[in-house]
Amino acid sequence: MKKYLFGIFLILFATVNLLANDEKVFPYKYISEKLDNGLKIILIPMDSPGLVAYYSIVRTGSRDEWEPGKSGFAHFFEHMMFRGTERFPGSVYDKLVTSIGADANAYTSNDLTVYHLNFASEDLETVMDIESDRFRNLAYDEREFQTESGAVYGEYRKGRTSPFSVAIEKMQDMAFDVHTYKHTTIGFETDIKNMPNQFEYSKSFYQRYYRPENVVLLIVGDIDADKTMDMAAKYYSEWKPGYTSPKIEQEPPQKEARSAEVTYEGRTLPLLLQAYKNDAFDAGNKNYLASMFLADLAFGETSELYQKLFLTEQKVQMLAANPGMSRDAGLFYIYSMVKNPDDIDYVRQEIQKTLEHFKYNKVDEKKLSDLKSNMKYSFLMNLDTPDDVAGGLARFIALTGDINVVDTFYNNLMEITTEDVMKAAQLYFEENRRNEVILKGGK
Amino acid sequence: MKKILVVSLMAIFVFTLFAQHNNKPVLLQVSADPTVSIKIMFFAGSQNDPAGKEGLAYITSQMLSDGSTETNSYETILEKLYPLAAGYNVLPSVETVTFTGRVHKDNIDKYYPLFMDALLRPAFKEEDFNRIKSNTLNYLNTTLKYSSDEELGKAVLYNEIFKGTTYGHIISGTITGINSITIDDIKDFYKKYFNRSNFIPGIGGGFNDQFVTRIQNDLAKLPEGEKVNNPVPVPPKIEGLNVTIVNKPASATAISFGFPIDVLRGHKEWYALAVANSWMGEHRNSSSHLYGVIREARGLNYGDYSYIENFPNGGSRQMPPTNVGRKKQIFEIWIRPVPNETRHFVLRAAIRELQLLVENGLTKEQFELTRNFLFKYILHFAPSSNEQLGYRLDDAFYGISSNHLDIFREALKNMTVEDVNSSIKKYLQFENLQIAFITNEAEQLKEALVKNAESPIEYATPKSEEVYEQDKHIKVFPLEIQEGKVKIVDVEQLFK
Repeated sequence: MKKYLFGIFLILFATVNLLANDEKVFPYKYISEKLDNGLKIILIPMDSPGLVAYYSIVRTGSRDEWEPGKSGFAHFFEHMMFRGTERFPGSVYDKLVTSIGADANAYTSNDLTVYHLNFASEDLETVMDIESDRFRNLAYDEREFQTESGAVYGEYRKGRTSPFSVAIEKMQDMAFDVHTYKHTTIGFETDIKNMPNQFEYSKSFYQRYYRPENVVLLIVGDIDADKTMDMAAKYYSEWKPGYTSPKIEQEPPQKEARSAEVTYEGRTLPLLLQAYKNDAFDAGNKNYLASMFLADLAFGETSELYQKLFLTEQKVQMLAANPGMSRDAGLFYIYSMVKNPDDIDYVRQEIQKTLEHFKYNKVDEKKLSDLKSNMKYSFLMNLDTPDDVAGGLARFIALTGDINVVDTFYNNLMEITTEDVMKAAQLYFEENRRNEVILKGGK
Repeated sequence: MKKILVVSLMAIFVFTLFAQHNNKPVLLQVSADPTVSIKIMFFAGSQNDPAGKEGLAYITSQMLSDGSTETNSYETILEKLYPLAAGYNVLPSVETVTFTGRVHKDNIDKYYPLFMDALLRPAFKEEDFNRIKSNTLNYLNTTLKYSSDEELGKAVLYNEIFKGTTYGHIISGTITGINSITIDDIKDFYKKYFNRSNFIPGIGGGFNDQFVTRIQNDLAKLPEGEKVNNPVPVPPKIEGLNVTIVNKPASATAISFGFPIDVLRGHKEWYALAVANSWMGEHRNSSSHLYGVIREARGLNYGDYSYIENFPNGGSRQMPPTNVGRKKQIFEIWIRPVPNETRHFVLRAAIRELQLLVENGLTKEQFELTRNFLFKYILHFAPSSNEQLGYRLDDAFYGISSNHLDIFREALKNMTVEDVNSSIKKYLQFENLQIAFITNEAEQLKEALVKNAESPIEYATPKSEEVYEQDKHIKVFPLEIQEGKVKIVDVEQLFK
């Protein structure tokens, strides 16, 4: 039983209430400063039992892989960041992180790469020392680089068994002609195979993107803000600026609906994926904000379509939607897993009927108000730990470079009306924005 | 002084005594917490599935969390819970089923009746049953067999190790079992096991005393029944290396292997073994030695880990789960998918590392590093009151009278490398294993294994001299596997 909205909404509400001090909904204040080299540092002290979450948010992801043959490189590079520096070679870095019992990891998506550690507050300076060092002085040899590409290929193989991975890879490839959202974060297999030959390119990648102007440091937890800010200045001020923007082509408007079928090697229930071209994340774009509501109102667990297809008729094993939250114009996804291949057309028609309904009918006021309540309490229930707070903020910060925008964003979001939702449906659910992928099992 | 210290240390270790549970609630009051967590742990699980009805505990559990009640249809329940951003879930396991929910304090009055209604007045409707049954069959028939070779490998490993015991089928059951379950079976299971004598309630977060009384009074309305005390299963003895090769189209090979162990948390030696295990294969952590050997130095896969407690859904979580306790655990090694052509080599490498661990133990330096790591790392196991409550219920399950995580940290303070190496000698071995492969061209693999054929490896990219030197030993590392101990199973034949 899932009663929670997409994490995306948690992020929205969380960040917003950081600033909503008048309402005192969010119990923590933040401090934000920028060093001369352009590095933004955001600190959120909170009462946690000696724990700190330390997030280095790089505003680079698979979106920035604009050169041909380089798909998957941002993610690959995330792996390389654990290979050490001259001062702290990989094994020394590992040993240090191990010795302080840190929970350390990283992840990459289309618009961001995040390096995060959770640790005891007494180890803050140790962490700042090793983290600032690897962001400034990463050093690895070609053999390590090539060996790590094997681990990345292993990750690709691991994920490839999911039919969703196969369908989404096809969807992005089809939906985008020139924009880098054409490829997934893991990248095309041919590019992954060729990664061992990209040693020189990897250095250039680091030089261009791992610069202070392109990174935000977010520290949450049991910290003294003044001391921590001084410490950050001490360790990060020497980091030289020099960010070079990627040359990402703008995707032209889609002119007609697209569709494709793919076969999954194993056995699976069929997947019907539709993706409508959406706008980029923009706190001032009322249509975009309303589209975030649409995902849940039209396809969420309390939607009429979900109740019909999942609960009553039991035609689908799964139905969900995700409005997307991306730096450039992305995709509004509608996912369905259909129990019987003969019902694919029927499910498609029902989805279409739902989209048409939302275009020409206002949503019930109570449904909208329930949704806003859901967002509020989802937020309030996900502030348990420094890691919860930092993890919720990371994407928002990556998209905008700061958390200042959230005030506008929240206020606008809360003002969305049933009329706005209807207008957004009319705008986004046009046929020429639609992309459809049907995946069927090969067995 | 020394004597006193020894006595006090012993006092924190409790030998596992099962069936100590009564209905006395486990309370973890954190007044500053704006949420309230409720967990009701019932002492019955998939091991209580009747023969031929494998999956009954799972389906019954799902009917409680994802079905209608006598008061509300499931649709209505979803609508009522929605503005609260709250829900309730059920966690069926082998030994227990834990009914759990969490809500913001503001909404407790609206939420609680829905939560309790689901537990006390399930409707067991036909349409809910059909939906849940269909989803479960799809999981067994397609998702588990084709979408996650890693989870499949672990499922096969556990089924083989516990074959013929009450642990001998996965929690979701079997296809035949699910197909034979009726609504009457579900009602009977509910009545027999979800009874007023067979659970421990846990409440955490910002609740008050009145709330405790309210829950206790309501839970007294569960069906009458008796406390269940499931016996500890006795898995068949493993002799030599036993291999199950699941044959399916696969571009990579997932490998899991292991054997039962006779120690559980709460016992002093478990904590020493936990240090050895952490060094060998801390879950999804680059501190894992196996990870260093297979991934870091050779780039053969995404990760390699070891376990002394069951860790379901390891691919999607970082920290250990709660409320999946077992009276019988296994030592398990999980090797994430490797290129098919390296599968024999990697198995050799992993078993060789296990042998080295058993024979040599940890060095003082390795011990110190791992101990320091764990001392702080386990702070991340339960940072919130909801997770801490999960641990407290597990304490009740394992018969631990204090707090497992506190005992763990205390044990680390006083542990020696000798303690760790002694526990390794006592509980770990490398000669009698169950091994599961998920791969293609099974016959080829069988032939190579039975012949103990050399498994040379060629890397696409250069490696260090140290790696090449080790590889000379790994490729001929003897694995004595008799033909009769290698079984090939087509993926379609699983979970029948």
